[in-house]
Amino acid sequence: MTPDQKINSIVIVGGGTAGWLTAGIIAAEHSANGTAINDLVDVQITLVESPDVPTIGVGEGTWPSMKSTLQKMGISETDLIRECDASFKQGTLFNGWKTGGNDAYTHPFTPPHSYASTNLAPQWQKFRNEVAFADAVSSQNALMFQGLAPKQISTPEYAFNANYGYHLDAGKFAELLRKHCVDKLGITHLKANVIAINSSADGDIESLQTDTEGHIAGDLFVDCSGSKALLLGEHFEIPFCSRSQFLFNDTALASQVPYTNSDDPIASSTLSTAQTSGWIWDIGLPTRRGIGHVYSSAHTTEDRASEELLAYIKATVSAEAASTTSIRKVAFNPGHRAKFWHKNCVAVGMSAGFIEPLEASALVLVELSAAMIAEQLPANRQVMDLVAKRFNAKFLYRWDRIIDFLKLHYILSQRQDSDYWKDNIAASSIPESLSELIDLWRWQSPWHRDTGHIDEMFPSASFQYVLYGMGFETQSSTTVRRSDREADSAAAGLFRENAERTQKLLASMPTNRELIDKITTYGLQKI
Amino acid sequence: MSNYVLLNNSAHKDLRVITTRSESYGDNVMHAMTFPIEFRDVQSSYPIFFCKDSESGQFYPAALFGLEQNQNLFLTEGGWDASYIPMMIKRHPFLIGYQTDPEHVGGKKPVVSIDMDNPRINDSEGEPLFSDNGEATDYLKESISMLEAIHHGHEHNKGFVETLLEHDLLEAFTLEVVLNDGSKNQLTGFYTIAEQKLHELEGDTFAMLNKRGYLQAIFMAVASHSRLRPLVEKRNALIL
Repeated sequence: MTPDQKINSIVIVGGGTAGWLTAGIIAAEHSANGTAINDLVDVQITLVESPDVPTIGVGEGTWPSMKSTLQKMGISETDLIRECDASFKQGTLFNGWKTGGNDAYTHPFTPPHSYASTNLAPQWQKFRNEVAFADAVSSQNALMFQGLAPKQISTPEYAFNANYGYHLDAGKFAELLRKHCVDKLGITHLKANVIAINSSADGDIESLQTDTEGHIAGDLFVDCSGSKALLLGEHFEIPFCSRSQFLFNDTALASQVPYTNSDDPIASSTLSTAQTSGWIWDIGLPTRRGIGHVYSSAHTTEDRASEELLAYIKATVSAEAASTTSIRKVAFNPGHRAKFWHKNCVAVGMSAGFIEPLEASALVLVELSAAMIAEQLPANRQVMDLVAKRFNAKFLYRWDRIIDFLKLHYILSQRQDSDYWKDNIAASSIPESLSELIDLWRWQSPWHRDTGHIDEMFPSASFQYVLYGMGFETQSSTTVRRSDREADSAAAGLFRENAERTQKLLASMPTNRELIDKITTYGLQKI
Repeated sequence: MSNYVLLNNSAHKDLRVITTRSESYGDNVMHAMTFPIEFRDVQSSYPIFFCKDSESGQFYPAALFGLEQNQNLFLTEGGWDASYIPMMIKRHPFLIGYQTDPEHVGGKKPVVSIDMDNPRINDSEGEPLFSDNGEATDYLKESISMLEAIHHGHEHNKGFVETLLEHDLLEAFTLEVVLNDGSKNQLTGFYTIAEQKLHELEGDTFAMLNKRGYLQAIFMAVASHSRLRPLVEKRNALIL
């Protein structure tokens, strides 16, 4: 491509949730659906999808960011709930992570009360034996433990009383996105297998040769082909960086489990229950639960992992429902590519990397990647290299922060019942950036300026929830600070406000199931 | 709590209904559902807004009587001080219910129920329901025709609200009322006609709204806003 070649045509390879989300996010910003405004042209977006490759149902949990992502694309939340078997998720509820016993804590999506101005963590430390951190500072903790919804039927689409994301059926979600992208956003959908990649003299991808649709030319190619990374991995041979030295889990046993009764409660958080060599996810959709065991194959066998999974399932549903369970095994290499944007090709989704779904980071990374491509879409080929450099720096940083944050869950555990938990606290398995933070937090609690970037994936509030949920202790300050004194005088009032708000929400929020049923019947209002 | 039973002229032959308006009979309500068929009368006394049913989230038009929950500024010691009382208030203690119609497969037939726990009901005071020979009194006949109007009003409201939403003609509305004593009341959870959108409508849409009988209702709802000021004045008059 010549340096002044305009970027007018984007080709996305792969039609899973990553491909369609990327297509929709870019189109929401760039596509005027074929109508040229003055002499400005529309960016043309084509998605080519193999008719033969089944999509992998990863990422059944989203972050709250999905609300605005879908809203910008013009998708109705009522349609999402009805068509994608979706329910509301308010965060993650961790069971057995601390001691392996009956301990439980939450990482809610809503930051602590008054978090913009007051750090309640040091104030809470004084009452740490009387009240759980998340309960003292957030009203969402109680909603999560009681399976209540984050909003009411009269709350408009995408608005909320407590912040939320979704649990959804990834296959149905990709289908909803596809329909919307093709019918409303003017995206061209081609079903064909890519059989060769044609390069220009400078090494850029010029076009894709397909079996049934001929050559598909483009200015920018987005690799959403999944873990095989057809363009970035197979074609450009960008190396893969394994991160298994930090995060051991590399195998998942996934199952879909029916409810015992069709009106059983739907949990309004992802349940994560620690096991001897991994953990079990439990995601409540309206019609079924997605339950899976993600574990370290170096620490346990498939048989043992499968036994633990079945024991979990049998303890939560009837024997009859449990007996219908079939288990699917997915092996993965935890880690990411050495870079994500190379020449005129950028990888989004599993082609960029994959890691255990402990904090449901897969779909949010797709959203963030696509949003940056959409926002920073290079004007021409020359400037693309600069955008690529910045994109790579940003997402390498993000992968490092995700790894730090996931690892945090493991190193705070008191579990010593297996080599898995012992190995997890070995110094060699802890990223230096994380051990430094832990040393810091022994003396001061996480707070706004801890984080390096303004658009950090995990804000300091998330670190507070996990640290104090897991029982971590921060020493109280030995010197007098003005901000401490101010927080001290405000704290009692803020704790009381939070308690009052909690009681109000507990009295007025329907259960997750009740709300989903009402949305199915009446729909949510747009205003 | 309510206890609705089907009305019949033997079990209920001696019942009477007190039609006096007062707090003790549950008239201290802030707003009540209304219907385009009565908008002309309603807008002469009350502001008409739209609110959401808490059970279904569905919109319906409502006549506003007060500025906070359980406050009806039209209630005085002498009764309800307005020239018109909305049907959904006047209907008490009756309710229109639906039974399977034996003459039409899948059909529903409206039937009249009465709330036996309603404090208006007794056997000595107020309007009788049946004459000595068991025939409905004029009071009951009027009540029944009102229930029928309410039945049609519900159906009409559904189409009315759907059409308003389809054309983005509703918008959220927050009213901050500063009373003479400086205290503030904030009305939230109410919606109103989006006038800007209304003025931008194409001629075809106006014609459609007119044909369906919605256009007049829309403008009467807009005009009813002028009843807000008298309502606030009534509230101010209560300040000592």
